[in-house]
Amino acid sequence: MIAFDNVAKIYPVTKDMRVTAVHGVNLEISAGEFVVVTGRSGSGKTTLLNLAAGLTQPTSGRVLLDGQDLWQMSDRQRSVLRAQKVGFVFQFPSLLPSLTVLENVTLPAIFQPNGARADAGQHARELLEQVGLAPKAGVYPRQLSAGQQQRVVIARALFNQPQVLLADEPTSDLDEQTEHEIMELFAQIHAQTRLTVVLVTHTTQLVSYGTRAVRMAEGQILTAADT
Amino acid sequence: MQLVQLARRNITGNAFRSWVVALCACLVAGLALGTTLILRGADSSLRLANQRLGADIVVVPEGAVEKVEGALLMGHTTRVWMASQNLDKVVGVPGVQAASPQIYLSTLLNASCCSVPNMFLVAYDPATDFTLEPWLKNTIGQGLKLGEVVGGAFVFTPEGEQNIQIYGYLVTLKANLEPTGTGIDQSMFMTLETARDIARVSVTMAVAPLEIPDDGISAVMVQLDPGADPQATAVEIMHRVPGVTPIVSSNLFQAYRKQLGSLRAGIGATLGLTLGLSVLLIGLVFSMAANERRRELGVLRAMGASRAFVFRTLLVEAGMLALAGAFTGITLTILVVYLFRTLIVVTLGLPFLMPALSTLAAEVLAGLGVALVVITLAALFPAVRISRLDPAVAMRE
Repeated sequence: MIAFDNVAKIYPVTKDMRVTAVHGVNLEISAGEFVVVTGRSGSGKTTLLNLAAGLTQPTSGRVLLDGQDLWQMSDRQRSVLRAQKVGFVFQFPSLLPSLTVLENVTLPAIFQPNGARADAGQHARELLEQVGLAPKAGVYPRQLSAGQQQRVVIARALFNQPQVLLADEPTSDLDEQTEHEIMELFAQIHAQTRLTVVLVTHTTQLVSYGTRAVRMAEGQILTAADT
Repeated sequence: MQLVQLARRNITGNAFRSWVVALCACLVAGLALGTTLILRGADSSLRLANQRLGADIVVVPEGAVEKVEGALLMGHTTRVWMASQNLDKVVGVPGVQAASPQIYLSTLLNASCCSVPNMFLVAYDPATDFTLEPWLKNTIGQGLKLGEVVGGAFVFTPEGEQNIQIYGYLVTLKANLEPTGTGIDQSMFMTLETARDIARVSVTMAVAPLEIPDDGISAVMVQLDPGADPQATAVEIMHRVPGVTPIVSSNLFQAYRKQLGSLRAGIGATLGLTLGLSVLLIGLVFSMAANERRRELGVLRAMGASRAFVFRTLLVEAGMLALAGAFTGITLTILVVYLFRTLIVVTLGLPFLMPALSTLAAEVLAGLGVALVVITLAALFPAVRISRLDPAVAMRE
């Protein structure tokens, strides 16, 4: 489903200074896998996820999503591919504050090349039901707790029925109980839909929720093993 | 949810930014339209005044140019005289096809014998007139008879009365001229016979009599032969008729034209400065807003928004704010200019005419266009910069 072929990403910091975020990354993630990527801050986990979604261009190497080289495409083609095949859950609050919960969930419909599905509202309500927030459909994000907001983000990520769900430290700002609930939700979604999940975290205990664990350090993959 | 709906929500979601941008648009459009209205209004007033005068050359007593121009353009009452023999001399100048005398008078100030105070009166000779008579024959089918007058656009018979009283003499208002935005709108036109009859009656009926010298006239309207050179003919009149100043039609109201020219330059500079500052201010506000929203726009990109979509969203937001602000500014400007048009005339010392509805509509569209262009230009650079940003970088603090 996702393949990294000798990928490196170097960010320019100043005119003379460069930071190597990842290098020499070779990784294949098959359809239906639930991969948990762990590592310390600055190990290159988030960059790996951004590369997988085509949000940043590798300095060298290739990234393939569903067999297609993301950087052989135009920006529009890559955006369409993301809209149709990728769902993203962020570490930071990412709901649009001026939209209601329901509108936030249906937001990805705008980016569909064929326009919004006719039953967008109904579909969004079902997803909110699935994450346990159906009664909150009409409220604004500021009226929700951090855990509830993250559930809405997960519902939004699932709206376009993606093939890949990418989650960047989705529980980093949550308490232990809520973290457990959110991880259970990921596991449940994976079990029900068999979509490919790549979840990045610095909490090593969370690898138990996945089907494979990948450990990163200093921009490289150290180990990749089934859990 | 559509792009426009999303843009609208972003606008309402950031009230401060939206107000600043809309206010700038309001200012830009209002200022652009306001200045255009005033300058064009004054310009068309001058043009109309020239047309209404209908003479190629106006001959006035020496030293009376400013007084006559002030009377014809601003309605300032004046009484200037020259010998009526000058008319015959002007008629004899080569190139003159027709010449007709006019007498400039005024009603009394706050006297019960005049129902219209301090009004500029023009008496003409129907036998030789070529400025008003053709219009009268087209409009009411005949020239004015004794006791009949034609008024400017804003001359009315007092409510509940049949006639207008001048020096205790009752005149009948037969017709009104089209508005010109000049003093002509508040002036009254009559035949020399009526003027002399008023003078006769005023001796016994008015607080003060209307005095008209027996052989005095105020001006001579001159129509030239086809092909005659106005400048050369004016010079010839000056040579042959001492004590008069001939004014060629195109040079008429020169002092007002100069004043309008300076006003245009001043307003143009102010407008240019305002537009420039608005572009900078709006650009700054949009840059700040785009920076604040980097993460949000990065999220949209992660959800599948293309660079073009992000760019369009920012421009649509800018466009909506521009139109809303400009519409408000334009509506307020039209209202202010309409309500205070008299004050504008007094303050600027220039005539002013509200444009026709079709012209106004075109100017409104132009005002909206200016605001749209200014704000789109200001938003363009931040929109390009933010839409080209790597989404991963945009999402990083």
